Amino acid sequence: MSNWQLTDLMQRPSAPQREQGSTYWRDLDWVLLIAAACVTLYGALLVWSGSLANYTSGGDTTSFVKKHLITVLASIPMGYVASRLNHRWLRAYTPYLYAICLAFMLAPFIPHLGARIAGARAWVSLPGGFTLQPSEFMTIALILAMSAVLSEKRDIESEPNNRDVRLALLLAVIPLLIDLAQNDTGTSLIMATVVVAVIAVSGAKRSWVVGLLALGIGGGLLAARLHLLKTHQIARLTSFVNPGSDTTGSAYNALQARIAIGGGQVTGYGLFHGPQTQGHFVPVNVSDFVFTVSGEEMGFLGSILLLILLAVIVWRALLIAFRADDLYGRLVATGITAWFAFQIFENIGMTMGIMPITGIPLPLVSAGGTSMMATWIGIGLLMNIRLHAVRSAP
Amino acid sequence: MRNEWIRLSDSRKRTSFLLAGIIAVLSIYAVRLIQLQVFQGSALSAQATHERQRTIELPAIRGSIVDANNQPLAVTVDAVNVTADQTLITNPQAEAQQLAGVLGADPAALATRLTGRRRFIYVAKALTPQTWSQIATLNLPGIVKESTTKRVYPNGDLAANVVGFVGSDGKGLGGLEYGLQPLLAGTNGTQTFQRGPGGGAIPTAPNTKVAAIPGSTVKLTINSDIQYAAQQAIAAEVATTKATSGTVVVMDPTTGKVLALATAPTFDPNNVGASSAGDRGNRALSDVYEPGSTAKTMTAAAVINQGLANPYTPITIPGTLKRGNKVFHDDVAHGTWHLTLTGMMAKSSNLGAILTSERIGPRIFDSYLQKFGMGQPTGLNFPGESTGKLPSLNSWSSTTFPTLAFGQGMNVNTVQAASVYATIANNGTRITPTLVDQIVAPDGTITHPNTVTSTQVVTPKTAKTVRLMLETVVSNRGTAPLAQIPGYRVAGKTGTAQYADPKCGCYRGVVASFIGMAPADAPRLVVAVTLVKPRNGHFGGQVAAPVFKQVMISALQTLHIPPTGTTAPQLPTTFGAGG
Repeated sequence: MSNWQLTDLMQRPSAPQREQGSTYWRDLDWVLLIAAACVTLYGALLVWSGSLANYTSGGDTTSFVKKHLITVLASIPMGYVASRLNHRWLRAYTPYLYAICLAFMLAPFIPHLGARIAGARAWVSLPGGFTLQPSEFMTIALILAMSAVLSEKRDIESEPNNRDVRLALLLAVIPLLIDLAQNDTGTSLIMATVVVAVIAVSGAKRSWVVGLLALGIGGGLLAARLHLLKTHQIARLTSFVNPGSDTTGSAYNALQARIAIGGGQVTGYGLFHGPQTQGHFVPVNVSDFVFTVSGEEMGFLGSILLLILLAVIVWRALLIAFRADDLYGRLVATGITAWFAFQIFENIGMTMGIMPITGIPLPLVSAGGTSMMATWIGIGLLMNIRLHAVRSAP
Repeated sequence: MRNEWIRLSDSRKRTSFLLAGIIAVLSIYAVRLIQLQVFQGSALSAQATHERQRTIELPAIRGSIVDANNQPLAVTVDAVNVTADQTLITNPQAEAQQLAGVLGADPAALATRLTGRRRFIYVAKALTPQTWSQIATLNLPGIVKESTTKRVYPNGDLAANVVGFVGSDGKGLGGLEYGLQPLLAGTNGTQTFQRGPGGGAIPTAPNTKVAAIPGSTVKLTINSDIQYAAQQAIAAEVATTKATSGTVVVMDPTTGKVLALATAPTFDPNNVGASSAGDRGNRALSDVYEPGSTAKTMTAAAVINQGLANPYTPITIPGTLKRGNKVFHDDVAHGTWHLTLTGMMAKSSNLGAILTSERIGPRIFDSYLQKFGMGQPTGLNFPGESTGKLPSLNSWSSTTFPTLAFGQGMNVNTVQAASVYATIANNGTRITPTLVDQIVAPDGTITHPNTVTSTQVVTPKTAKTVRLMLETVVSNRGTAPLAQIPGYRVAGKTGTAQYADPKCGCYRGVVASFIGMAPADAPRLVVAVTLVKPRNGHFGGQVAAPVFKQVMISALQTLHIPPTGTTAPQLPTTFGAGG
């Protein structure tokens, strides 16, 4: 239904709109939402347990998980707003959103405001001990901007031309370079994945996709060959191949992560009772290595359940992408799906030692405000696209 | 073409293909999860446990050693070690200055212990909790308390040679602290816990605790008051006579309980390092000497008990006596003596003892020596105890029998020597000596560690007769008038034996001794005094008897033993016209 106007964004309840409101709730993808809610709740328990030993202040062992829950409570309304945004409005304001996010990405470079975590200067300190990672929001802005550019000619049934693809790539290259300048390998990889996925689905020439993949692989090899990557980046990327190589750095993390997960065996030690978790053997076990808490304390049963729930989210997101009623919606949903899927498989993969280690949080599970907000905004946008498709269906 | 691709997007085929793709990736992850958690799970879990698990010992509190009246002789008290985390100390000089004020230590030496990058270093050990509270009020950063325990001997050297001492690890190294180590130490408990990489315990991880069982309390038969008097007396006499060492044993003959066991020189178990190793043992049990004349009591008792002599039996003693290939003499050269058996004891004649013993022959004589406990363990099971030596009968040479008759040729420790007199005092029944009265377990169970056996060595009548003869020794006609105690009847015997010096393997100096009992007609106490190599004074009656008197008076008073109010009959010491 395109009877929505810009002013409908902040619509007030009135008689004809109440009917639409009721279809809103009915038409949501409840499978995705319930899966996301379950994962969020499960994640909060893991964060609570992981934070018991080390993230306590003033004797309050729940202070960290309380902060996490505040973030969750702040994130869900953001998702709701995202689901309510009008497509036309969204497309019209995307350039501004892109510009604002890009400017925000530079904030970590400002002295006293920027924060460096795990070697990456990609955070902004906020009062109350909260931190924000602007690049997470940039991922969304990039998806929206690229989708807008590549679907501009959609309605007249013509595929994006090379000029459109070049513009889309330009939009992607700027934040990617900033990511790299901030040592934020993880977010760079997410953006790169999103770029390839969106371009691939946009209908652009196949040579673009093949070229981009070749560029990614070739560039990576070249960077390693020319020692352009920092030592910590190489160490992280290679430690999964040879976990015994370094007993204090990222190989240590990889080994400890595997020990923790393996130790949980089938049923786990029980929440709050995983010795590797509570002993804080695994570093950052509330954020990047949160899956180890699941592995150790909830065992195989809990962890396979988490994997299935996350897979359900990716599957539902894909469905939304393919049932989108226009290319814009499809590209946005594809970008979000690629983003979620990459983060989930990379995060769990590195934790289990089958992927290189990069600093990427597990969506909806890891502690980390920006990731939680961005993920829920992503879910909101998926809902938005679904609702759009459902309503325009005959 | 590509637009068609877009239009076909809703096809079921494509959807199920993508679902299959997701399931495929999910499967790879699930397989990896199964590999880690199911197949490698127990190995990884074991590796993790090995990395984390630590077992610490929970030290058991060491049992106390108390005297017969439960006065503490050795107790374990809470103590504090002061440790430092050097990385937290910003101003070592200032902190050292403040600490030095409390500890009374050198500030410069303390400052070096506080300077550096070490996270843990000892600053001072075994302080009292009071001292720690003084330090705590200073609020010094990086100064940390470590709780520990300390063995304290509240009375210093009192009964130190019985109680013994512990090493810096708190384990017994000497005396009963060593001998009763397993009982005193108790059983340490263990705590097994899971440890994080920082070293701290993981609060929610499994944790097993086996509580420590405290050590038992050891109650001695020692009476602190008598022990104190004995130590004072022997220390003074050792100093006066310039003896190398001296010992005093006080026994209750009716029970075999050792009431005091004093040696000089002694040591302070609170500061073992300040003493010489030889002073830390118990000479009354570890040092043996040839008893000499005090052993003549056994000779007399044996012959009387066999009915072959009585106190009036005349013995004609020539100036010398040849036995085997050896000519024996008395201490003083004399012509022919006409002494009764009583007189032989009073004058302590070696030749008289030889002639007396010959009335019963070597075999019977040997059996009496054995029954009196010669060459046998005392039964105290004290660490470092020597059983002494009595040559076995079949190894005796032609001179052994006559030599043994006057107390040379065998050796004994002071407790064994005292036990002989305790037997005479206890109407001929020998009761094994005891030093540990009770072992009180943490649950209150009381056990008596020593098996007390009693042996009838001589008849009560013999014992009584021998006591009457020994009273003569203490009379003005005997060798030990200095042992007399006004108002009490005292019986006893002096000894002045040649000292077989282990350093040269020859006889050098003497062992002067006096062993006696009071009241003589109903003995309640036996006191044995030995002085090794006195240089100022020589005879047992001269140097040992005064110590006996002093200790016996103190013991009689402490135990409120009244005089019997009887008087000793005067036994003749000579016969005929010889005088």
